Amino acid sequence: MTDTSQTKVPRPLSPHLSIYNLPLTALMSITHRMTGAVLALGTLLWAAFLISAASGEEYYKMVMYAASSHMGRIILLLWSAALYFHMCNGIRHMIWDTGKFLEKDKAMRTNYVVILVAVIMTAVTWVCAYLK
Amino acid sequence: MAEILLPPNSRFIKGEKIDASDGAKRKKTFKIYRWSPDTKDAKGNVKNPRFDEVTIDLDKCGPMVLDALLYIKNNIDPTLTLRRSCREGICGSCAMNIDGTNTLACTKAIDDVNGDVQVSPLPHMPVVKDLVPDLNHVYAQYTTIEPWLKTDSPAPSRERLQSADDADILNGHDGHGPAACILCFCCSTSCPSYWWNADRFLGPAILLQAYRWIADSRDDATGERLDALEDPFRLYRCHTIMNCTNTCPKGLNPAKAIAEIKKMMVARQ
Ligand code: SF4
Ligand code: SF4
Ligand code: FES
Repeated sequence: MTDTSQTKVPRPLSPHLSIYNLPLTALMSITHRMTGAVLALGTLLWAAFLISAASGEEYYKMVMYAASSHMGRIILLLWSAALYFHMCNGIRHMIWDTGKFLEKDKAMRTNYVVILVAVIMTAVTWVCAYLK
Repeated sequence: MAEILLPPNSRFIKGEKIDASDGAKRKKTFKIYRWSPDTKDAKGNVKNPRFDEVTIDLDKCGPMVLDALLYIKNNIDPTLTLRRSCREGICGSCAMNIDGTNTLACTKAIDDVNGDVQVSPLPHMPVVKDLVPDLNHVYAQYTTIEPWLKTDSPAPSRERLQSADDADILNGHDGHGPAACILCFCCSTSCPSYWWNADRFLGPAILLQAYRWIADSRDDATGERLDALEDPFRLYRCHTIMNCTNTCPKGLNPAKAIAEIKKMMVARQ
């Protein structure tokens, strides 16, 4: 016999993240948070740089050497990309907070604008850095 | 807090494979979430949920996912449990996750899905049975926004009138305003913020309804309604992820309604 009063069996939770087909806006939102975290870490690196610059030529040279190694450059590249993405998407969030561009199609299109502008800004920064 | 993994009693076990297509030309496989408190193993413990794969002949059923589910229920497995009523996208009963997106089974065409059609209950909800989620909590949240007209003036002898422009705010010029919401909860159960914070965040469906009363020119309780939402969780857990607007089967825009409420909060300070 089925107990119809109140099932004593704990109910399972229906599947969520594992089955949901996340739209680009959701992925952008996750990326926004991750880049935020990366930037916070990057700020520590930045602080290390400033401290080293303040504590004498030798330390300064050491940090500069680390920063210009392949690994250092890759980290700086990712950091700058994270910075520009977070900035562009942050601006979009500010525009969203005024109630604009919240329609489905516009939100989708501004995804691409944010990505494109972030990529262009990163590319321009690095081209400038290498031309110098 | 955010629990990415499903709790132990909610993970899947191997399901059954049933081929009822009988050499059909147009066949399709439906992977359907199944769980029942009455399905027990030899020791008497309730079995975990599973996805059953059922292959059917599409020429034998109607064009929508709901048609296929009812075909399976009527002809293959009568224990398959789901909610439906209107079968024309207006009652909101048949909301479920189909092919990774929340929508109404009765308005989702089978042909819109490439490959197998995966069907599961609205996400991150307690399951009553199969495709039926427990909606008690969302309904309780709905009552907290007091979804009725509140006025200071005495009741007139006829309806309270409203200008066409004011009515447009509720209905939308295109018919996609907040008054068109059918409370199917596709949006709320698509929202990651709601998944992780449903205990305190009201979620897009309820906030859209809150906005529907806040924006009503005939309602005199706007300030009181905004006060009730002034809370770090109830309203402000929305981070404009936009899953809600992307998924609404009626083409409504809960994310925008939420942004409008946030704007009104700032404007009245
Ligand atoms: S806004 Fe759309 S998805 Fe959300 S409850 Fe209303 S009709 Fe359903
Ligand atoms: S816009 Fe807000 S309510 Fe809609 S899915 Fe995103 S967080 Fe949830
Ligand atoms: S059965 Fe009413 S909305 Fe699908």
